Amino acid sequence: MTGGAWLCLLAPLGGTILITLCGTRIPRVVAAWISTVSCFVAFGGAVWAFLGVQARHAVGPVNPVTFLPAVPGRGEITTAWTWLQSGNFHVGLQLLVDPLSTVMMLIVSGVGALIVLYSIGYMDGDEEERRYFAYMSFFVFSMLLLVEGGNLLLLLVGWGLVGLSSYLLIGFWHKRPSAVQAAKKAFVMNAFGDATMALAFFVLIAHTHSLSFAPNFDVHLSSTAINLVALGLLGGAVAKSAQIPLQTWLPDAMEGPTPVSALIHAATMVTAGVYLIARTHPIFEQAPTIELIAAGTGALTLLVAGLIALVQTDIKRVIAYSTMSQIGYMFLGAGVGAYANGMFHLLTHAFFKALLFMAAGLAIHALAGEQDIRRMRGLGQLMPFTKWCFLAGALALVGIPPFSGFFSKDSIVAATAALGTWYGWIFWVCGVAGAFLTGLYTFRLWFLVFPGEPSPFVREHHHRHGRLEGALTMLVPVGVLAVLATVGGWLQWSPRWTPFTDWLAPAARTLPVAIPTNTQEYYTSAATVLAGLAGIAVAWAIYSERRIAIPAAPFWRRALEEKFYFDLLYDRIFYAPAAAVANVLRREFEEPVVLQTGSDLGEAALETGGLVRRIQTGFLRTYVLFLAAGAAGVVLAFLIAK
Amino acid sequence: MSASSLTSILIWLPIAGALLIWLLPLSRYATGSLALLFSLAEVGFWIEQAARFDFSRSGLQMAQRANWFGDLGVSYHVGVYGFSLWLVGLTVVAMAACTGYGFWVGRDRSRAYFGLMLLLTGAIVGVFVAQDLLVFYAFFEAMLIPLYILIGVWGGARRMEATIKFVLYTMTGSLLMLAAIVVYGLKAGTFDLVDGPVSASRWLFLGFMLAFVIKAPLFPFHGWLPDAYREAPPEVSAVLSGVIAKAGLYGMLRIAIAKFPEPTSFYRTTVLALAAAALVYGSLLAFRSADFRGVVAYSSLAQSGLIAFGLFAGTDLGFDGAVLQMVAHGLISTSLFLIAGVVERRTTTGEFRLLGGMARGRPALATLLMTVGIISLAVPGSASFAGEFLILAGVFQRAWWWSAIGAGAIVLAAMYMLRLISGVLHEARGSTVVDEALDVRTGELALIVPLVGVLLALSAWPAGISHHSFFGQSPTATVKSQFR
Repeated sequence: MTGGAWLCLLAPLGGTILITLCGTRIPRVVAAWISTVSCFVAFGGAVWAFLGVQARHAVGPVNPVTFLPAVPGRGEITTAWTWLQSGNFHVGLQLLVDPLSTVMMLIVSGVGALIVLYSIGYMDGDEEERRYFAYMSFFVFSMLLLVEGGNLLLLLVGWGLVGLSSYLLIGFWHKRPSAVQAAKKAFVMNAFGDATMALAFFVLIAHTHSLSFAPNFDVHLSSTAINLVALGLLGGAVAKSAQIPLQTWLPDAMEGPTPVSALIHAATMVTAGVYLIARTHPIFEQAPTIELIAAGTGALTLLVAGLIALVQTDIKRVIAYSTMSQIGYMFLGAGVGAYANGMFHLLTHAFFKALLFMAAGLAIHALAGEQDIRRMRGLGQLMPFTKWCFLAGALALVGIPPFSGFFSKDSIVAATAALGTWYGWIFWVCGVAGAFLTGLYTFRLWFLVFPGEPSPFVREHHHRHGRLEGALTMLVPVGVLAVLATVGGWLQWSPRWTPFTDWLAPAARTLPVAIPTNTQEYYTSAATVLAGLAGIAVAWAIYSERRIAIPAAPFWRRALEEKFYFDLLYDRIFYAPAAAVANVLRREFEEPVVLQTGSDLGEAALETGGLVRRIQTGFLRTYVLFLAAGAAGVVLAFLIAK
Repeated sequence: MSASSLTSILIWLPIAGALLIWLLPLSRYATGSLALLFSLAEVGFWIEQAARFDFSRSGLQMAQRANWFGDLGVSYHVGVYGFSLWLVGLTVVAMAACTGYGFWVGRDRSRAYFGLMLLLTGAIVGVFVAQDLLVFYAFFEAMLIPLYILIGVWGGARRMEATIKFVLYTMTGSLLMLAAIVVYGLKAGTFDLVDGPVSASRWLFLGFMLAFVIKAPLFPFHGWLPDAYREAPPEVSAVLSGVIAKAGLYGMLRIAIAKFPEPTSFYRTTVLALAAAALVYGSLLAFRSADFRGVVAYSSLAQSGLIAFGLFAGTDLGFDGAVLQMVAHGLISTSLFLIAGVVERRTTTGEFRLLGGMARGRPALATLLMTVGIISLAVPGSASFAGEFLILAGVFQRAWWWSAIGAGAIVLAAMYMLRLISGVLHEARGSTVVDEALDVRTGELALIVPLVGVLLALSAWPAGISHHSFFGQSPTATVKSQFR
């Protein structure tokens, strides 16, 4: 089982190294297949590790339907070598194979392999395909390191490396200034998150001299210390998962190629914050205030992002805001202690959101790069396969049964009802309102793009790649994900059927306060489904039938289009002052004071040199005189000293 | 060959090489080859030394001692500790790459040039292995003479101004250090660093520290730095920031902290504040610098501040992290300056407004600059991340706000390094970038790739240095015992 974990981790890294070293000596398509195969090998490794966890550590009766043990083991840590050591502090290059990490390994390598496969068709013809595939493999490696890392420092290493690969892939088309800007922004905001995580680790090191998972999770620190640790971790999670207030990089990240958005900015990396909370839940449980802040952040983000999505006109940005909103649900779940529910939504979201992005990619590809939904009307007639796959993803996103999102999203909202506190009810209302918004923005997109007669723009620009709607390498992954987005949620229907929660229980057991009663489950399900349907109905009335005019509220519309002015605010309070301070320091201090001092000293020295030069007369008698005087002086000094 | 003579060989072999080159009337090509041969032999001898070094033993190793002025307690005393072993390794590797670069670009007046480069190598190694204060001082000064000439003769348009500033700043520091050395030695009755007692004199501490903070440099003693780093030939800038700066930081560790424990704790907050200022100020100015070398120069100032943080934290993690970071940053800034040279040779400039778009059609240049740049901004998993993490974790145990400042500076580092990378490689093509500008050539790759290779190897196993710099489990205790 640890062999599987290492294979899973190292196969994509091997792919990256191979592609980099071969360079232009191999054809582009070979590089593409090296990358794809390495990811499928990683998936094989993940399955191996998964089976290992269930076989070797099985305790208790085996479920007759899933063949999973009722209680899997705690997992195993495998160490390659001591990576960093100083004094009695040491950190190994180690992997943790447990129920939580194997689930993440399966998602990352499985969805990752499908998306890399899709990229073969999507990136076909790009001049720098080899670089693209080297980066994609590197991302998969980094993400696997993040989820498999056997201690907090290695988790941070993976955390930083996914940020790096995200930077490289967002800025892949580096001739576009907007792509380069977006890449830098993503990196710097994530570096901020890395820094807060590092600070949290410093607190842990100062108190426990260790960054391994186990001792830190059993230790009890002072409440200030534990709150600081949890806050630092939350800072990292919020930055990586694009939650308020560190969310502004994600929409800009859509500058990258569409498969990148599907893999990094939908299915895997951006959900890492949820994984982090689930992984370090013992720390968060000791800091309930911070956990509540995490849940509140999620609730706020799911509403704000849902609202902004309503006015976006770029197909990828609509889906990006939807991603933020859905991660808000996951944060909400993890924050109230329903870790398994958050993770389950992470799983189904990986399916349907990757599907939505890739279906959108098919549309963009067929329209020669056009991303504006206002020009796409009627695309469904020309691309029926894309249309139906997108519909499956959209229904899963809104949470209409029996599509997967229904099972995962409702259980999160139900968990907030179980809290029974005033803020629990606020969260519940947010969750249900979010479901309405999801229905509205998703089907706004749907009605604008797919049904009806093709618009003149679509007729003019639509072109087929061969007989199908896209390359086969693109259609197969989309088809597979459409199936998964439809049936993937049947894995669990709480409260009646909970193999996923049981599987995760040894690593992240749901808090008792977050387990809803059956009644709560039922009325929550009814409420969210109705809210989602209402959203769809409103979208239908506005954008398909045009029975209702879009309400005219210029102030709100502008606020939404400006994304609630976050970008402007950050520019004003962070970037501009930093640049201004730096400029002032350079103009008012560095140049006139520090550098000038050197020059003044130089001139002074030259002048002194001029004075000294006068005694260099060239006459022997002068030199002898000085010599004698000097010697006399030294002797005198010694005499006085005695 | 006995193990202890290896230390002396590492000092005197390149100096002998320099004399040989000055004496023999060889052609430019033969001179360059001979110099390169000598610097590669240095690397070979260092590998031998590292292989024979016993990390499980405390105290000085491979030492040689010969009386010089017996009645004054002066002796030729050299030897290595774990941390000095790594710094010598950094020196010989970086100097080999820089000498090779001088050969590749065909510096004129080649016999003078290569002789000076070899002399410089010997002098720097001497600084890192000297165990007698006067020998240390002699090498510390000997290091400067070749540098003055290398900047003043082979430098850029404003080289004279840069040289004069550099001379003045470093001479000021050195003279005060000389005075401090003489007083310390006469008081103690010996100039030996191993036998010498600890001193509580704050004045002597300040005399030493001034020389070291100018050399490192720390804010606000960096007046010489921007001009010197911009005007020197790129390979000399690489030596200055990669290796010479480390001599100042090494001096802090070996002399100021080890021999002056009481003044060290008295001035700890002051030095930490200067280090924090260097870190933040350097990062901010690097962010607004208009050219490649300006960014690297100010980032070197910031890095010196960071390393001084680690040293003056006075904790286990701080010491180990500082040594690791000295080596990592030495390799990084050597590589970055050489890459700056590569870019300048193709475009005649390092200014961002004239550069850009170089990644297109130049995959090797893009990969190299991207890799080194990313390691330099301390992406998690890199050797410099390991070093910075240890340093900041170490200084956190002193007070949390130092780490908070350090963590903030790391975000700034991401900002200025990404700006540098994009300014050279990305977006529209700059006006000085022509299609004919070649990708990195094989000869240049042969110089820079080994440096990057060492960095990647260190990233895979930073404990190789962090756990092998000081004897035993507690660097603090080792420093307290004056490395005995």
